[in-house]
Amino acid sequence: MGNQGYQTAPAGALPRRKGKFAKFVEQNIGFIYIIPWIIGFLVFKVYPFGSSLVYSFTDFNLFKGIKEVGVMNYVDIFTDKKITTALITTVKYAFMTVPLKLIAALFIAYILNFKIKCLNLFRTAYYIPSILGGSVAIAVLWKALFRDEGLINTMLGYIGIQGPSWLSDTSYAIWIICLLRIWQFGSAMVLFLAALKGVPVDLYEAATIDGAGKWRQFFTITIPLITPVIFYNLITQIVQAFQEFNGPYIITQGGPRNSTTLVAMLVYNYGFKLNEMGMASAIAWVMFIAVGILSVLAFISQKYWVYYSD
Amino acid sequence: MKKALALILALSLAVSSFAACGAASSSSSAAASGSTSAPAETTNDTSVSFSWWGGDSRHEATQKAVADYMAANPNVTITTDYGAWSGWEDKMSAALYAGTAPDLNQTNWNWLFNYDNSGATFVDLNDYADYIDLTQFSDAALEQCTVNGRLTGIPIAMTGRIFYWNADTFASAGVEIPTTFADLMAAGETFKTKLGDDYYPLVMGEYDRMIFMVYYLECKYGKAWVQDGAMQYTAEEIAEGLQVLKDMEAAHVIPTIQTLAGDGAESLDKNPKWSEGKYAGILEWDASASKFSAALNNPDAFTVGEYFTDIGEYKGGFTKVSSCFAISQSAKDPVAAAKFMNYMLNEEDGVKALASERGIPCSATALKICTDEDLLNKTVAEANSKVIDWCSFGIDPTFEDAGLKSTDGVYYDVMAGVSYGDYSVEDGAKVLMDGVSAVLEG
Repeated sequence: MGNQGYQTAPAGALPRRKGKFAKFVEQNIGFIYIIPWIIGFLVFKVYPFGSSLVYSFTDFNLFKGIKEVGVMNYVDIFTDKKITTALITTVKYAFMTVPLKLIAALFIAYILNFKIKCLNLFRTAYYIPSILGGSVAIAVLWKALFRDEGLINTMLGYIGIQGPSWLSDTSYAIWIICLLRIWQFGSAMVLFLAALKGVPVDLYEAATIDGAGKWRQFFTITIPLITPVIFYNLITQIVQAFQEFNGPYIITQGGPRNSTTLVAMLVYNYGFKLNEMGMASAIAWVMFIAVGILSVLAFISQKYWVYYSD
Repeated sequence: MKKALALILALSLAVSSFAACGAASSSSSAAASGSTSAPAETTNDTSVSFSWWGGDSRHEATQKAVADYMAANPNVTITTDYGAWSGWEDKMSAALYAGTAPDLNQTNWNWLFNYDNSGATFVDLNDYADYIDLTQFSDAALEQCTVNGRLTGIPIAMTGRIFYWNADTFASAGVEIPTTFADLMAAGETFKTKLGDDYYPLVMGEYDRMIFMVYYLECKYGKAWVQDGAMQYTAEEIAEGLQVLKDMEAAHVIPTIQTLAGDGAESLDKNPKWSEGKYAGILEWDASASKFSAALNNPDAFTVGEYFTDIGEYKGGFTKVSSCFAISQSAKDPVAAAKFMNYMLNEEDGVKALASERGIPCSATALKICTDEDLLNKTVAEANSKVIDWCSFGIDPTFEDAGLKSTDGVYYDVMAGVSYGDYSVEDGAKVLMDGVSAVLEG
């Protein structure tokens, strides 16, 4: 920290001796500025984070207190059928939605990178779902679309197809929830679009002269050069997929038969329906560790497939 | 520098902690004063926050009561927080725990037991007898809201489940409104053949099925579901009850849980199939009559049914306190909250505004005012009269425990599991018994 912000003493004047406090402030002014943030971080992030870890080793119930301490919650998580089903469903959900969402985003971004008519209109139209997608209103709309007598089945009926029970059939319901998430590819698409704009045009020109077709150019020039953005989108989408709550909560309430109960919903159910904060904390920690492991694996894997220009 | 930084951080945290402790101790002392000494009346400007759940008609009536009270008491400001039942308990339980719940709350009966075992959540209303006329309530009614010797809620109404029918649909099918279980079972096939696959004489969600099964078993065996903290039914008897529900599905009397889920409706009163008459009957609380009749395309077709006489020799079904008013320990001015509570329960203007929106009033004076002024919803009054005359059982407060009753609870799991075929009736009975036993054991 320099003293550029302070006036220098006039020529000839005796240098004024600074007090210890002023000196301390001067030396640590940057840290002092961020003290409010540090306090907020400690109180609202570190403390809940730490206390949830402590609670996860108890049977803490909001209205009954703590009666037992131990690893029983973690044992239950891996032995209770309802919880293991939710864990498996969440992993399935992440593995279905993340690749499909990234492929959809990249595909649309690639098309929107060409000079076509009404380009801005299309870009806006494809981006809007990602703004609206997480909202309660869209989830309610989704439910109305896919109910037995909803718009989708009505339209299928016009072409002579008897639509299935999308929301109440255990085989279909999870796909309806996935579809809502995949539909919200706008934010990933914008990042891909920016990355595609950054690919040097002369590389394509050289490849064309060498006789490479569009597909070859896409897989040998475009994809390698945008892998940093693919990697970034992959990490953020994995994290978001594990946190998904609104869709299943509003559209199916985790049903039918728990086929759409994701881990975040289970945390809510234990924490706020059953008031069992100990179990809710333990499930949240298992989810945190699972996301952490996947993220670490992704970071380890990047040296094999992500190409940074520097 | 590190030491200095650590010192600043420690000081900042200490200041925050002292501030928090100060707030906590002041609220604790307020709470303590509410429970140990006579509450003091304030004459200055004051405010009361008030929460409730319900349908639109209840919201309108309650808002009118609030507006009338504020007009008559200009020094009191009442802020309101209300909504539909769905998700309401989740929100309120967290607020009650955190001490951020409104001052005055409509509570479900079992909340008094589930959320106030330690006595830290609601005030003892015996301390506010100067402001709430407790003499208007029977000792039996007040006893039901007394937990560990503390009167933590005032019962608003007694309620029970009863059948309601859509007379138009039954007329279209050429079937009389059922008065026996055999009539109901026979109606299923007629509905299917005369009106179509989409038409059912009765509709019941998971929790409705649980209540129906208890009603059926009580009619047949004459035992309360739970008595003195112990389950009264054997696995075989429960399996028989579950089998009845399976038979009703098979006979096209009730739609499967899958069919109901496919409707995509938030609740039965918002299900278009109820409005259109495709579902022609419900088993609902007496106080819910207005909500369900208003949802029908032809509200005049809404008819209060009879309890079935051919299930067994006993009068099955239970009554319970429908809901209560309770004051939070965190209330800043519990006296003002108590006075407003008394206005709604016992005073003429408040009683007239609310009438039977929360059921037929428990308060003797409120019932007299409503009767004299012909303010009771006739359908609700008829239903309540039949409920009180017929139902001969009570319920244990744990019947509505969140672990059983919530959408993630045992009742939903068993009823949906049996309907989807994931559980045999024997397995369902075992899961149900284990779940109830776990709750009873605490």
